[in-house]
Amino acid sequence: MGFIELRDVTKTYRKGEHVVTPLDRVSLDIEAGEFCVLLGPSGSGKTTLMNLVAAIDRADSGELRVGGTELTKLSASALADWRARTVGYIFQQSNLVPVLTAYENVELPLWLQPLSRAERHARVSLALAAVGLSDRAEHLPKQLSGGQEQRVAIARAIVADPPLLVADEPTGNLDHDSAEGVLSLLERLNRERGKTILMVTHDPRAAERGTRHFRLDKGVLAEGAEARR
Amino acid sequence: MKLLRLVVKNLRRRPMRTLLTVGGVACAMLMLVLVQSLGAGLDAALSGSEAARTLIVYRLNRYCPQTSFLPEWYGPRIEQLAGVTSVLPVKVYLNNCRASLDIVPFNGVPAERLAGSRKFDVLDGDYGRFLAERDAALVGRSFAERKNLAVGDQFRFGGINVKVAGIFGSSEPVEEGTVVTHLEYLQRAVAVNRLGTVTQFEVKIDDPARAKEISAQIDDLFRTAPEPTDTRPRILFLEHATRDLREILRFAELLGLACVAVVLALVANTVAMSVQERVREFGVFRTLGFHARHVAALVIGEALVLALSGGALGLGAALAVIRFSSLTIGAEGVPVSFSTQPELIVRGFAIALATGLIAGLAPAIRSSRSEIVASLRSA
Ligand SMILES: Nc1ncnc2c1ncn2[C@@H]1O[C@H](COP(=O)(O)OP(=O)(O)OP(=O)(O)O)[C@@H](O)[C@H]1O
Ligand SMILES: [Mg+2]
Repeated sequence: MGFIELRDVTKTYRKGEHVVTPLDRVSLDIEAGEFCVLLGPSGSGKTTLMNLVAAIDRADSGELRVGGTELTKLSASALADWRARTVGYIFQQSNLVPVLTAYENVELPLWLQPLSRAERHARVSLALAAVGLSDRAEHLPKQLSGGQEQRVAIARAIVADPPLLVADEPTGNLDHDSAEGVLSLLERLNRERGKTILMVTHDPRAAERGTRHFRLDKGVLAEGAEARR
Repeated sequence: MKLLRLVVKNLRRRPMRTLLTVGGVACAMLMLVLVQSLGAGLDAALSGSEAARTLIVYRLNRYCPQTSFLPEWYGPRIEQLAGVTSVLPVKVYLNNCRASLDIVPFNGVPAERLAGSRKFDVLDGDYGRFLAERDAALVGRSFAERKNLAVGDQFRFGGINVKVAGIFGSSEPVEEGTVVTHLEYLQRAVAVNRLGTVTQFEVKIDDPARAKEISAQIDDLFRTAPEPTDTRPRILFLEHATRDLREILRFAELLGLACVAVVLALVANTVAMSVQERVREFGVFRTLGFHARHVAALVIGEALVLALSGGALGLGAALAVIRFSSLTIGAEGVPVSFSTQPELIVRGFAIALATGLIAGLAPAIRSSRSEIVASLRSA
């Protein structure tokens, strides 16, 4: 049994008469510990797929099992708890809370857990150290560079130690060097900590880092060599 | 709670907007509390326990102490009526008969009759000294607080110079707002010499049920005299004297309601704006695993902090105004003080709490119900 299993998942958007079907009976199996890269043209439904896997959106039909949990059967609040335990979402923009320091932003997901202040402190310090930003803990997002912001966002995604990381064009807004830093970080999290990673990218160099490659186009998912074209 | 810290940080994100909102709420609350405290003071003025068995004899068709003059010899005549237990002639002197915010009411009485007619306790000072010295005064507790007077002080008002011999407390809130002096001293001190006349008689009767009957008997005694009288139970006298004030107050209470509406609109507007700016942020919170109710709590919390801090500020300002400006409104010579009962403070906070909740409710529901994906897509 895979870590992520999609069976005939369909997602349709209706805008008046106009119907878009970014995911048309998509099936997918990913094992724990894989670093999967999702490619595809703009508007092909990559973000839509990520959102379903991260349980912030619901499929119209099909089965969706992640980490042994059938997501289509859970209530909204059960999904919220599940997300807090299972997924770290890394967006294209860092999406940090502007009024909170780097430390406090990373601490956010831990508010949902029954941890003492000292335990939270230990975990936040560890996460900030993992992304190499221990010395920026007290900075506000606006006092950080784009690359640093994105690394804080990664720290926030891993601080609760979820098994799955979902990254939607995590380097899309970054310069080359910052992008390298972020990608190496993800690679290390995958290798050293066994995180399962699902990453969307348009950048072929970023795609190199993955262990498996998928391509989404016109609602259909393809895998393997042709995906990397 | 951690969410509260986040709420406060968010409010500091736009300090000017927050300040303006809190200031607006504070102003509205100040208005509301002042109106309510005057209403409470008015209720207190009418609540004296002696009011039912005290009759006030006044000059017919006169409504101001400056124009009511009754001969002192009416007193003994009234005293002879059956059912009358005591008669106290009182000369009322005050600075202003119109609605005034700083009224100083003197009551000149024959000192030797005072104890037999009015109920009061000398809290501080010496009653004997008051009896002995002709320019001595007994000062009501609330007046002493208002003017910051202590035993031994001398004070002068409107050409009348008196020494504070004692401070008294009374079951009648209206009396606690007055200065009691010797009748003759007051009669002589006032510019127009009106020796032999007083403003009113306070008549105690043994049976409150007979108030109407005895009032009519008193008025009958002097029906054909040059100075006819108008006698009524003290409670009705006070109600009559304060009727204009109560009318104004009823209108002011409407203004108070409008203030609550203003607070509601102000807080709701600020929260709506703040929520609009953070649609995406709420989407991020939900993605991290926060529940819809957490988001709702953030929004409601923001409204509550705005309303309660503004409310506290306005309440504090109102209490300070009442305490330090020593306001007392005179209504036809009856002093009505602003009353700051604990209920008033509790009610102020309750109103702030309720408006905060109501103002935050709609944006809270909207924010917590919106779809995560749609929120994340918003700018
Ligand atoms: N809420 C929505 N309402 C209507 N249509 C939507 C909605 N969300 C997505 N779509 C449509 O679904 C399709 C897939 O969108 P999606 O964001 O998943 O694409 P994507 O592959 O991530 O594109 P990009 O590479 O540009 O990020 C697009 O055609 C988009 O217009
Ligand atoms: Mg996308």
